[in-house]
Amino acid sequence: MTEYKMFEGCTIGNRIPFIEAASRKVFDKVGIETSQTNFSCCPDPTGMKSFDNDAWLAIGARNLCLAEAEGKDIISLCNGCTNTLRGVQHQLKHNSWKKDKINKELAKIGKEYKGSIDIKHFVDVLSDNLDKVKGAITKPLNGLKVAVHPGCHYMRPAEWMESDDPMRPTTLKKLVEASGATVVDYGEEILCCGSAVTNAYEEHGFANLKIKMDAIKKSGADVIAVNCPACYQQFDTRQRDLGKAYETEYDTPAMYITELYALAMGFTPDDIGLKFHRIRLTSTLEKLGL
Amino acid sequence: MTVDFEFRKQVMDYHIGSDLIKYCFQCSRCADNCPVTNVTTDFYTTTGYNPRSNILNALLGYKDAIFSADALTIWGCTVCDTCNEVCPQNIELTEIFTLLKNQSVANGNAPDFIYSQARAIFDSAKAIPTQPAIERRREQLGLPPVAEPDVSEFRTLLKNIGADKKLK
Repeated sequence: MTEYKMFEGCTIGNRIPFIEAASRKVFDKVGIETSQTNFSCCPDPTGMKSFDNDAWLAIGARNLCLAEAEGKDIISLCNGCTNTLRGVQHQLKHNSWKKDKINKELAKIGKEYKGSIDIKHFVDVLSDNLDKVKGAITKPLNGLKVAVHPGCHYMRPAEWMESDDPMRPTTLKKLVEASGATVVDYGEEILCCGSAVTNAYEEHGFANLKIKMDAIKKSGADVIAVNCPACYQQFDTRQRDLGKAYETEYDTPAMYITELYALAMGFTPDDIGLKFHRIRLTSTLEKLGL
Repeated sequence: MTVDFEFRKQVMDYHIGSDLIKYCFQCSRCADNCPVTNVTTDFYTTTGYNPRSNILNALLGYKDAIFSADALTIWGCTVCDTCNEVCPQNIELTEIFTLLKNQSVANGNAPDFIYSQARAIFDSAKAIPTQPAIERRREQLGLPPVAEPDVSEFRTLLKNIGADKKLK
């Protein structure tokens, strides 16, 4: 199998590394090979792109140059990083004036962007290897009820994200089902977690998150499956404050799909640092007999 | 209301490879599907976040209606890209909103977290810099250290582009 350059991203690498630990363990079991290189911030498609599109392009293109130098595709653990790197590639491909401008700047630091590599979201790589994933599952998560949240930047805009469908995605659902767990429909699957707007306007972000969480609570889900660190943090760190703001209890844990897989592949909660979740997983793990 | 033709041209030029934005007929599918419009406006109000109005004002060159209004007009966008998908004219609304945000940043009117994230990225080439406690946690979890980026090369690139001048 091809070796990918690992793009864990700032949030996973430097804030919630237990998600990287679970992901690497799952990749090993499935036979997905990765190696590191000294990537910078991707940078953030909601923050840095809003700050200065040209700076966003230049930083993204520089990261792509690092992977191009080794002739390897990138595997990203994050919706935001995938969206940025693919978005940079899209802008530079369709705007030759911008590409020349960025390459002029890259030349000053001894680099040239060519557009010769591809950027893969890890969910799509796992989905392409679904047989191997299923083969590695030894402890299926039978009985666990899961609400899926693929996250906006995994599938939109369709111009440069190549998921199965930008408004009705099914890949994460299929991955969850492969773990033996049951997917519960809650009707707000594609609603944004609201991470970006919560940073600027907490009250509006919370009003949006409430719609999402009320639907998830009503569905009776034990856990929310995610594949983006920004969404993960929105659910894991902001549910308590949401509960305070609306005087309701919100405590549905969010788990990366690779954390669910790691458990289904026989790793223990300690192996993958589940204790570092803010929302306790006690009842979820009890349900799984772990 | 004054029409700013220079701003209008910038908006027109910004849409990648096409003049699709001209064909917006204000159908309001963007606003109808926007999660932030949903929580900031109701049928009878004209305040709150509205992607349809932003496209109209941008298209007409009504710069003041965008930049002199409450910052929510621009920064209410949560970048979920839903408007792009539901637009019957295939307008990439979020890209136009990026232009509006970039100009708001240059004017010094963006929310604080935008400047503080850009500052962290400029200083360490990472939105979240390495911290000793997390490095220890990585080690406990059996993870390799994060490969550190070349910060000085990274800063040279940003300075040459002039992005450092927008920092606060």
